[in-house]
Amino acid sequence: MTTTTSGIPSRPRAAGASRGVPFGRLLRVETRKLFDTRGNLVLSAVLVVLSLALVVGRSVATGEARFFTLAGTAAIALGVLLPVLGVLTMTGEWSHRTALTTFTLEPRRARVPAAKCVAAVAAAVAVSLVALLVAALATAVRGGAADWTVDPLGLLGWIATMILVTGEGLALGLLLRNAPAAIVICLVSPMVWSFVAQLGTTGETLAAWLDLNATTNALMTADMTAVDAVRLATSALAWIVLPLAAGFVRVLRTDVR
Amino acid sequence: MIEFHRVSKTYRGVRALDDVSFTVPPGTLTGFLGPNGAGKSTALRILAGLARPTSGSATVLGRPYAKLARPGYEVGTLLDAGALHPGRTGREVLTLGALLLGLPRVRVGEVLELVGLSGKEAGQTVGRYSLGMRQRLGIGHALLGRPRALVLDEPANGLDPQGIRWMRELLRGLADSGCAVLLSSHLLHEVEQVADHIVMIGRGRVLAQGSLDELGRGRSLEQTFLDLTADTDRSPA
Repeated sequence: MTTTTSGIPSRPRAAGASRGVPFGRLLRVETRKLFDTRGNLVLSAVLVVLSLALVVGRSVATGEARFFTLAGTAAIALGVLLPVLGVLTMTGEWSHRTALTTFTLEPRRARVPAAKCVAAVAAAVAVSLVALLVAALATAVRGGAADWTVDPLGLLGWIATMILVTGEGLALGLLLRNAPAAIVICLVSPMVWSFVAQLGTTGETLAAWLDLNATTNALMTADMTAVDAVRLATSALAWIVLPLAAGFVRVLRTDVR
Repeated sequence: MIEFHRVSKTYRGVRALDDVSFTVPPGTLTGFLGPNGAGKSTALRILAGLARPTSGSATVLGRPYAKLARPGYEVGTLLDAGALHPGRTGREVLTLGALLLGLPRVRVGEVLELVGLSGKEAGQTVGRYSLGMRQRLGIGHALLGRPRALVLDEPANGLDPQGIRWMRELLRGLADSGCAVLLSSHLLHEVEQVADHIVMIGRGRVLAQGSLDELGRGRSLEQTFLDLTADTDRSPA
């Protein structure tokens, strides 16, 4: 997919010339859609305020002075809400049937969910950075007691985990086009996996390979073995890559109603 | 120029459209008439590239919709005035369209004025709009890129008498300035007052087409319509 900069009204149409809506423009519109309704604004505000409240709460209540532990506290809120952001980003187009107008202005339909993915991931990274900043501030106020021990890879892994959980929401949202169903799957799956993990060795193995929450733990702690990496890849394939691919095929193949 | 060439569409074994062919030349306004469920919306969605025909082809300005270089500038569409996010303001809906088309923001204000939505109304969320206001917003959205063809599905639904007169004058003006306008409706009198040509469909087939004079010759368009669609009538004989 090439990003083009043409599309100026006066530009003459030539065979083979770049045409249609440039991807950058789609990205701008999809980013705007993340914040242009009250519902979306509330979700974004809750994301930021809740992670802030958790970090500050823990810092005040327990005197926690380790930066990366406070970051982990913020991840509790983000891990739940970023998938929801991902789901709603995708399903909004279908729950209100605005796909009808979006796809008439951009008939190359796959570019629309692609732009939504980029916009939501960028938002997830931005929120993650804000959460890390809050954790850093909460650590800094401890002065001499502050513990800044952090593996740079662990920090990257922390952000990567936030991207992956957002990706899970995007993938399930695009595949199912049904916000309640996709959100329930995202929120309930950790519970289901911890149950499955208790069902003997088979269950334990299944959970170790397919539970995205478990497989991303190694990523967060920057303590990753080759087996961990393969397990992470397997679970990401199952919960992100495959549903996303199926969702794109569905967008391309089925009629828009 | 809008053309349907032998378009058929089968949905799960049901034939929604059967060999539909007609043309809307530039500078004319064609009324697309048919009872509910006749296949009007299906035909318009195929034209807009949202649904694939089982056979045949529909083109705008000589190309299938998906092959248009800049569809928003070539054909304006209003396929369902209800398909709006209730949490967005009217102005935001138009701003998103203008951004996608790469139009300057002033175009949003121009369009709001054109469709008669006040600044205050434009600032309200669409969830608070009446159906008539949604139709005006949808028509405005279709006109953002000053397209050369216009496709509207039941745009008169929910408009008050002033609104209907406004729309009639707007569409007549657009057609007179060279736009190819295709307007679906089941409101016969509305279409009769504004259209040059009529295409009547029932059960997915074109039942009649021609100029208003040809179809209404010697009797009212309504009678022609009722005669032609008699087999789709739901009332007892």
